[in-house]
Amino acid sequence: MDYGQIKLTAGVISTIGLYSVLYRENKFYRLFEHIFLGLAVGWGIVALWTETLKSSWWDAMVGSSPDPGAAAASAQPGYWAWILLLPIGLMGYFVFNKKHNWLSRIPIGIILGLWSGQQVQVWFRRYGPNISASMKPLLPTTTSSFGKPDLTGLTPAQVANINAQVYPSQALTNLIFVFTIVSVLSYFFFSFEVKNKVLKFFTTSGRWLLMIGFGAIFGSTVMMRFTLLIDRMYFIWIEWLKHGILHR
Amino acid sequence: MAQAPDKSLGDKLQSLNKTTLFAILFAVTSIPLFFPGMKVPNKPEESTIDLYATLMQLPENSTVLVASDWTDSTRGESGGQFEALFRIMMRRHLKAAIYTTADPQAPQVARDNIASLNEERVAAGQKPYERWNDYVVLGFFPNAEGTAVSIGTNVATAFKGRKDIAPNGISTDVYQSPVLKDIKSTKDLKLVVVLTASSTSTVTIERLSGKVPLAMLVTGVMGPETQVYYSSGQLLGLSKGLKGVYDLETMMEDGVKDYKGAPIPGFPNEKNLGRGSVYYPTLHFALALLIIAVIVGNVGMAMSRRKGQ
Amino acid sequence: MDFLAQALPDNFWRHQNGSSTLWLWTFIGLVVGIALIFGLMNMPSQMRRPVVVGVTFLSGLFYVLLYFWPAPVARDPGTLPTDLVDKVGFWIEDAVPSVAQFSNILTAFLLGLGIYSVLRIHSRKLIKQQQDWAFSAVLLVCMVLMVIFGYWNWANRISPTGPLLDLQSNWKFQNYAADLLFDGLFQQMNGAMFSIIAFYILSAAYRAFRVRSIEATILLAAALIMMLSLMGSVASFWDGAAGHVSENLTLTSISTWLRDNLQTSSLRSIDFGIGIGALAMGLRLWLSLEKTGAGS
Repeated sequence: MDYGQIKLTAGVISTIGLYSVLYRENKFYRLFEHIFLGLAVGWGIVALWTETLKSSWWDAMVGSSPDPGAAAASAQPGYWAWILLLPIGLMGYFVFNKKHNWLSRIPIGIILGLWSGQQVQVWFRRYGPNISASMKPLLPTTTSSFGKPDLTGLTPAQVANINAQVYPSQALTNLIFVFTIVSVLSYFFFSFEVKNKVLKFFTTSGRWLLMIGFGAIFGSTVMMRFTLLIDRMYFIWIEWLKHGILHR
Repeated sequence: MAQAPDKSLGDKLQSLNKTTLFAILFAVTSIPLFFPGMKVPNKPEESTIDLYATLMQLPENSTVLVASDWTDSTRGESGGQFEALFRIMMRRHLKAAIYTTADPQAPQVARDNIASLNEERVAAGQKPYERWNDYVVLGFFPNAEGTAVSIGTNVATAFKGRKDIAPNGISTDVYQSPVLKDIKSTKDLKLVVVLTASSTSTVTIERLSGKVPLAMLVTGVMGPETQVYYSSGQLLGLSKGLKGVYDLETMMEDGVKDYKGAPIPGFPNEKNLGRGSVYYPTLHFALALLIIAVIVGNVGMAMSRRKGQ
Repeated sequence: MDFLAQALPDNFWRHQNGSSTLWLWTFIGLVVGIALIFGLMNMPSQMRRPVVVGVTFLSGLFYVLLYFWPAPVARDPGTLPTDLVDKVGFWIEDAVPSVAQFSNILTAFLLGLGIYSVLRIHSRKLIKQQQDWAFSAVLLVCMVLMVIFGYWNWANRISPTGPLLDLQSNWKFQNYAADLLFDGLFQQMNGAMFSIIAFYILSAAYRAFRVRSIEATILLAAALIMMLSLMGSVASFWDGAAGHVSENLTLTSISTWLRDNLQTSSLRSIDFGIGIGALAMGLRLWLSLEKTGAGS
């Protein structure tokens, strides 16, 4: 057995070990669950240093000597103040201490503060275009036909003129679009009781239209989860058995 | 002695054993894989066509900032998207600066997948995608929000202090690499692509929308939510889930006949079909099983109700 | 403008790599930091909340200022500020990457909390030989192996001969071990864990997805149309049959219309609602008005 086959076989055994929970909870599953968790924690320790802290923190703090063969100016000075992040970060570990666990709120407060300070900017950047894209024309600008006519064989000027118009079918679609937005938003008015018949109609419609969004999310989620399963089956049957063991 | 009443057909239809159901799913997702070459007719979605067109119309040697925020937990979708994206980028000689904000495993997963794509290129007699000259891996940035603000403010300083391995084996500042040396400000970024299995897509839109051209490849779960931002014009292109992967592979194979009046070529005589083409036919059977299961359960419920009336 | 910039002469904050001055100041900084912790531990309890509230407010203030303070316009490298507003604007803009670096480092240290917690629980189980302690031993052994071979492999790859390891023929035992542990075991188990949900989705849909109300019917219909539109062969067959009658009756047209007009609008509304809540929550957290926030 060469290395490739050993690697694939190890992956298959561990996959089957985890899948055994589908039959029932068992020690075989628990063994692989703990192996998985151990490897995850171990990789976390490695990656946090090699992918983040070494370059962002340590090299920034101690600097670096010039690259071999490069100019002396390529040397980077060290900024000692970065060491202060170590005690601040370690304050987070006081969460396990009964007497001083309030200290952990300091680094958490810094992170939460940084996040919350960004919220004004992010709100407009995320929703501004969405709000303007939701302002659709509700009244038709022409009634020459119900729907947009076929553009085949028309001059560019005629095409531009047609594209600039809002036909009754498009106006109706826009009305449905805006109605959906307003009614779904109105469904989330929980701060007062809805007694008015018109409002009730909106909130009930909103609840029904919400289901369309949820149905789409469900369909997409199903596609994703089944794809992950198909990928695992491909790994077992094709990558391991067909290509790895049987060499077909 | 009293006997338990016989189950009606309606009750039987609703009470199929869990193990049997799992075994059927296991079979349905395995058997079709032994029949490769099933070609499914496909009409790519508009959002994926826009993504493909965006990538194909970038000038050669442009630098694309890629947020590779996935691991093998979503290899079925994200792996296929990564392979399709990088096959296009490698063939179009686009440079990639790869960073991640979602998971410490992600940088290594990106390196491993580029290595396997390079094996494919070398086997086809093509030049491999070179580390340092063609791509750099910038590392893991645990604070996605601050990193995205920094990229939006000035990408030329956002990754300061980060190093990657130059061809001479020395860890060198990434801004000295051919990938980033010409990037002096955020405006020099031709495209930022977010390939994610988590909500880092939303974090990026919140901080970079309107500042840099954005495109996304997301898993099925994030698809409907991210579609909202494509509809509002905040994204140049969007690929969603396995269907999105299959759309990209189809377009790489056949091109696009008419995109805003002009055709977009594919990559003839190259390996274009990957995970999307292999998994998509099997997905049909799995989805059909789920639809049948829901119908059977509801038919059973209706029959039980009628019997009870 | 210099803000923790590169390759510049020594000053109070920066010193040459490897110099004794740098190490001395780093040590002093560490001692100051530890003294700060001890000082905070012995602080009167009524001072605790003001400290946390102050730290939270100052942190958020940076990004608020970044947004509200007049930003430098068309700034070229070498441009100097002309007045106080410019000076502050330049300082804020130059500080953004350093603040991002600060937040990345702090978040990385805090991510260690999860690692520490797992280690604590399983070490205790092993030492006290509690129930299933053998599994905890397996966990710790796997963790140690991953750490050893992960670092060893990384050290090889950043060495001058690192590029040679792009070819598997140049790998040594530690490189194979790291690859087996990460790619052979960890990544495959990661995939397996996430794929298990597919079985439960099928089981749940079969048992619970019942048409009992109008809402459930609409949800089922929308999900059905979405799933059918994802099936290219079904879409092709339906489009072929319905296309002869009307282009609007094809599955592609129906699903596209539903997606662009009903699905997008309803999800956009949900997004708006969440966004308003997030904005309000952000403000409350920044000002420490939130009882469950850091300042409570």
